[in-house]
Amino acid sequence: MESSLLIWLMAVPLATTGAIVFAPERMAKVLATFGSMVGVLLGLIAAGRFDWADGAAYQFTSSFPLIESLGINLSFGVDSIALWLVLLTQLLQPLCVIGSFSAITERVRTYYAWLMALQAAMIGVFVARDLLFFYISFEFTLVPMYVLISLYGSTNRRKAATKFFLYTFTGSMIALAGLVYVVWFTAQTTGEWTFAIETLEQQARTMGRSQQAWVLLAMLAGFAVKVPIFPLHTWLPLAHTEAPTAGSVILAGVLLKLGTYAIWRFVLPFVPAAVNEYAPIIAGVCIVGILYGGLVCWVQRDVKKLVAYSSVAHLGFCMLGMFALNNVGAAGSVLYMINHGLSTGALFFCIGFMYERYHTRSLDEVGGLASKMPVWSFFMGFFTMASVGLPGLNGFVSEIMCLMGAFQSGAADIGAGGTTGPLGPWYAAIAGTGMIVAAMYLLFMVGKIVFGPLREPAGHHEHDVLPTDLNAREIGVLSVLAAGCIVLGVYPRMVIHNIEAPIEQTLSVVSMAASGDDPASTLATTGGPVLLAGRDAE
Amino acid sequence: MTELLANLVPVLAQEVSAHGDGGGPAWIASVPLLALFASVLCLGALFLGVKSKLPAWIVVVSLGISFIVTLTGFLAWQGTADDSGHLHAQLIQIYEWIGMANAGSGGEAFSGFFGFYMDGLSWLWMLFVTGLATLIALYASEYMEHDVGKGYARFFAAFALFVFSMACLVMGDNLLLLYLGWEGVGLCSYLLIGYFYKKPSAVAAAKKAFIVNRIGDLGLAVGLFLTFVTFETIQYDELFASVGSGVMANGQAYSGTWQSWLIPICLMIGAFGKSAQFPLYVWLPDAMEGPTPVSALIHAATMVTAGVYLIARMMPLFLADETHLALTIVAWTGAFTALLAATIGMAQFDIKRIMAYSTVSQLGYMFAGLGVLTSAGAAFHVFTHAFFKALLFLACGAVMHGFAGQLDLRKLSGLLSMKGWGIVSLTMLVGCLNLAGVPLITSGYFSKDMILAEAFVTPNEVIAGSSWIGWILLFTAGLTAYYTFRVFFRVFVGPEHFEPGDDHHGDDDDHGHDHDDAHSNGHGGSHDGFHPHPPRMAINGVLLILALCSFLAIPTYFVGKHHGWVGGLIHESSAYVPSEATPWLHHADDDHTGDHAGDAHHEGDLVAGTILGQDPHKAMYFISAVVGLIGILVAARLHGPAGAWGLGLGSRTEAATSRADALLPRMGPVARWAQNKWYVDEFYNALFVRPLYVLANIFHAIDKLLVDGLVNLFGLLPRWLAQSLRPSQSGVLHGYAVGMAGGLVVVLVIVLVLLFMGGGGG
Amino acid sequence: MSLFLAQLSTAEPIGGLTLAHFLVVSAVMFTLGLVGFLSRRNLIIMFLCTEMMFQAAGLALIAFGRFHMNHTGEVFVIFVLTIAAAEAALALALVVLLYRRKQTLDAEAWAELQG
Repeated sequence: MESSLLIWLMAVPLATTGAIVFAPERMAKVLATFGSMVGVLLGLIAAGRFDWADGAAYQFTSSFPLIESLGINLSFGVDSIALWLVLLTQLLQPLCVIGSFSAITERVRTYYAWLMALQAAMIGVFVARDLLFFYISFEFTLVPMYVLISLYGSTNRRKAATKFFLYTFTGSMIALAGLVYVVWFTAQTTGEWTFAIETLEQQARTMGRSQQAWVLLAMLAGFAVKVPIFPLHTWLPLAHTEAPTAGSVILAGVLLKLGTYAIWRFVLPFVPAAVNEYAPIIAGVCIVGILYGGLVCWVQRDVKKLVAYSSVAHLGFCMLGMFALNNVGAAGSVLYMINHGLSTGALFFCIGFMYERYHTRSLDEVGGLASKMPVWSFFMGFFTMASVGLPGLNGFVSEIMCLMGAFQSGAADIGAGGTTGPLGPWYAAIAGTGMIVAAMYLLFMVGKIVFGPLREPAGHHEHDVLPTDLNAREIGVLSVLAAGCIVLGVYPRMVIHNIEAPIEQTLSVVSMAASGDDPASTLATTGGPVLLAGRDAE
Repeated sequence: MTELLANLVPVLAQEVSAHGDGGGPAWIASVPLLALFASVLCLGALFLGVKSKLPAWIVVVSLGISFIVTLTGFLAWQGTADDSGHLHAQLIQIYEWIGMANAGSGGEAFSGFFGFYMDGLSWLWMLFVTGLATLIALYASEYMEHDVGKGYARFFAAFALFVFSMACLVMGDNLLLLYLGWEGVGLCSYLLIGYFYKKPSAVAAAKKAFIVNRIGDLGLAVGLFLTFVTFETIQYDELFASVGSGVMANGQAYSGTWQSWLIPICLMIGAFGKSAQFPLYVWLPDAMEGPTPVSALIHAATMVTAGVYLIARMMPLFLADETHLALTIVAWTGAFTALLAATIGMAQFDIKRIMAYSTVSQLGYMFAGLGVLTSAGAAFHVFTHAFFKALLFLACGAVMHGFAGQLDLRKLSGLLSMKGWGIVSLTMLVGCLNLAGVPLITSGYFSKDMILAEAFVTPNEVIAGSSWIGWILLFTAGLTAYYTFRVFFRVFVGPEHFEPGDDHHGDDDDHGHDHDDAHSNGHGGSHDGFHPHPPRMAINGVLLILALCSFLAIPTYFVGKHHGWVGGLIHESSAYVPSEATPWLHHADDDHTGDHAGDAHHEGDLVAGTILGQDPHKAMYFISAVVGLIGILVAARLHGPAGAWGLGLGSRTEAATSRADALLPRMGPVARWAQNKWYVDEFYNALFVRPLYVLANIFHAIDKLLVDGLVNLFGLLPRWLAQSLRPSQSGVLHGYAVGMAGGLVVVLVIVLVLLFMGGGGG
Repeated sequence: MSLFLAQLSTAEPIGGLTLAHFLVVSAVMFTLGLVGFLSRRNLIIMFLCTEMMFQAAGLALIAFGRFHMNHTGEVFVIFVLTIAAAEAALALALVVLLYRRKQTLDAEAWAELQG
């Protein structure tokens, strides 16, 4: 289905950025709100016009040649997984804009301009069908985020921004090397340069075992930093702590998903044989991350850092599900991306709203806010429960599916409910203890900051503008997210049903690679016809 | 826009039409939904700052309607018996909650419906859950009145949400929905224990309850996974059909596989957490930080019996393991927990805590009952216990309410003769009689007997040490009678005396000041000016109804042919232990007695156990009666006042001291150990919590120094390189100029050399 | 090298002058400029020296252009001249500003960019 819709999705935030730059300072937030709302509308139109029955196919495709000699195109297209992530981005954007009204009072224009530019880049990652287009978007997200952290962050912002930039950038460089190798390999086999993801995907699979392993390693170097997978996570707590509220929300809500999405989009279908081989190791690292991240959360005194570390643990579940390499795990993983964006994003909003009033994030200085800010406390408790994985809210569905996937994976010999795969019941059982740890640290947080006797920092006085408890604007922002949490918790089939097709498509590739005894040799034989077919098409 | 919605929710409409016409009335879904609706309304009232008792009435009315709906549904279900008199489970599926198609086989990779499975077990549970919840909500409407406009709406929102979750747990047609209810009741328990959230102890207790429960939940989750992997379904009807046929989803025999013992053990761990069994019982006594109605409903009558429900519901899976490993563990854990909790309960002074330990102990009975294969007995004990323990808690709550939070049995005495406390004292007596198992006039006597007798009936070969379990439980029954009447003799009879507590209701600081103003010297050690306020209509009414209910439970034991009304319901449910599983019994009540008479001897080696050579069912009526009475008499001797109310044995004249106090020092450290709960909390703290906390700190240090340190080291490498090259940049113009000129010379030299070499070569 | 020298000598003379003459003058001018630049500390003198090096290069380019009988060198020199004029304006302005800061034209007085 040809359509220019995706171009509009990217163009609207870009145009908004331009408008903000040239408009007077006081118009900035109006323009940003308007632009992001138009984005929501476009997102809804996209969801409405998307052919969900054919979710595995790229839709709304369009393509413009950039450098023809190298086969580089500006090509757009989404499958249903990418579209859900686009929708998540579109949903979070206006909330971030509106949630920043009172927090950002200086250099307003710069702030909203970069915020909108960031949205365009994030959308670019999800809608790209061309590797270079993807990579440019992927990397460009660093620039706005760097500015947002280093200009609008708190005390340690420079260091945090630099570390965030350099760490993820270094990783991405290595990933680029891996991706370019795939391009080169494709050019060698087909005799034609191309950056089209579909073509690369087919050719990359024909690589030998050791080549696949190296490409896997290179790609993970970039994408695992972004996720982040333990032990490549140390930039995250720092960046989260120092970033402005909306920055943290976007960071947790979408930017981390760029990593998981990239792993899903590139690692799994590009190097399926290596994925099968190394999945147990990756899953093992994820489990360590779940428990390690969770325990580290437990001893944090900075509430924002606590939530940041919880992302390490949560995304461990997400990756565990993905590397279970079966339907349930993968669906849980994709669902986890969306759910984590909603619930953790919302937690960062809550903390941000509290920070605006108390100017501290230390659990030692502030606490027992239930008596002072009951509405805020309600939302804090609500999103904590979503994050803990309380059934009926969104977090549970994805968590149980990721664990179920890991449990089933490789349990085919136990019973008919199992599937083939590299993991097994032990992985799920051990990762499951992460649920206990999650309850420990999140209830520790709630017990400190929401419950208990009221503690306020010395010399605290009421905010000039904001009321003691949340105002209507802030309640509105949190209500939208809360509604999302409930809907996805009560009726997750809405998402699951629609992502079944692309998941099956990707996983069939992976399981095909797993079924051969020697992946390289089977791939070599299957690689031939593909190669010929490609030439015939020309 | 409608098209868009249709795209996003493509399956909802179909599924409702596909499954709405299941085997039962879809309107039964209104039971949980009404409670949910009430909860949402209360939440709305909370946000709007409603300053009246409106939330209470919303909840009472909607729960009352839920009860009526349940009752209607139950009566309708009773009318659906087939020709042979059997009642079949009703299956009502609303929509597919979590589901995923499978790639290879085309089947479901994982599926859990939002649907209900109504058989005798679920009906029984729903009847007493909705009934008791209505009554206790009514009681709470008065009990919580200090908090009107403050925590009142919050309390009732959580209360109604609890009923919703409990309904999902009990009515759910699969393990996943059970899990939803399981965690949902855990959340409500958390919220309500932490109701007085300004008290750090309440917050800590709430947290402890949730986390300890989560340990059990992990067991349940793993059990769920394993069940699905083995049977490819978690839906009860399909699951029981598979287990019944003895074939797993992959076509192999289920019996003898390792899953057949591991699945029950996983589920059992879940049950231990929720039902406060050793070693996961530690949260329940602390849970008494919550308001008393909550303790009565959640932590005595309903939620804590969810573990019993789970095992009863999954009985076919437990029985499928021919070694009965899990059931043996259940039985022994139950017996041990019963004994342990009773010994702790004997040494406590806080009457609410005594009741809490007695709850743990009674839950132990229920588990032991399940373990010795009398699910009917366990369910009957759940049923009777729900009434009399709720009654006991509510009576304690009335005392607490009236005496400003005073719960120390050393500081209260003679309530029976105080004006306005008659109903509370008498209903308390009813509750105590039930708990102590006083013969013939109490339902607790009959339900406890069922379990005790079956412990002796079940052969030791089937459940290892079954008769030992019986003896332990019998001994515990004596202890129970003692500690129950210890409370009664000390608090309710004897000389009038009281010291008000320093507690206040509500969650606001300023409320405490109100209290001070009202009772100006209430806290000054003396209680001049403090007047205990006796309960009014709602509390007294509910206490009377519950007392009545606990009596009405007696005749249910004698109706029907399967161990009473409750036994009859269990017979029509998955909890029923079929006669094939109990070949040692001559099923007088079985429909096919004639067929089995020969079989029983054929099995030969398994014969029903006896107690002291007698038929346990008959002998137990006398033995347990005697044991219970001995316990009461000992309590009377040690704690009873002089005079008729001390049964002529007591001598207590002072309010605060009794014979037992004189006895204590002679018991050595044992009494102190029991009073300190055998130091189990301290033990857990030292063994798990502290090490884990230390580990977390170590991880944190590693994260900072090693993981992040390495990253920073890599960041520093270029910096060191730059530092070493830095002096070359002097900033002086001539320096650069010389460098440039020198570079030029070098280039020239190279060019010339190359030219000459080229020239030389050419 | 010998080939290069042979080319120089066999080139068509212009009024008795060969390409070599121009190049030698150019080289001398460049060397003078370079030596001046390195040895003097007065900013204006140093600037004049750079101008001299420019002109040396320009002279060489013109000579080469004539030698190859095309206008490439001349075009290039016009560019260089234009840019040099602009750059001279800028540079002298900078020098004036620097003088105002420290009341000296000594190049050694400025080492702000040291690492």
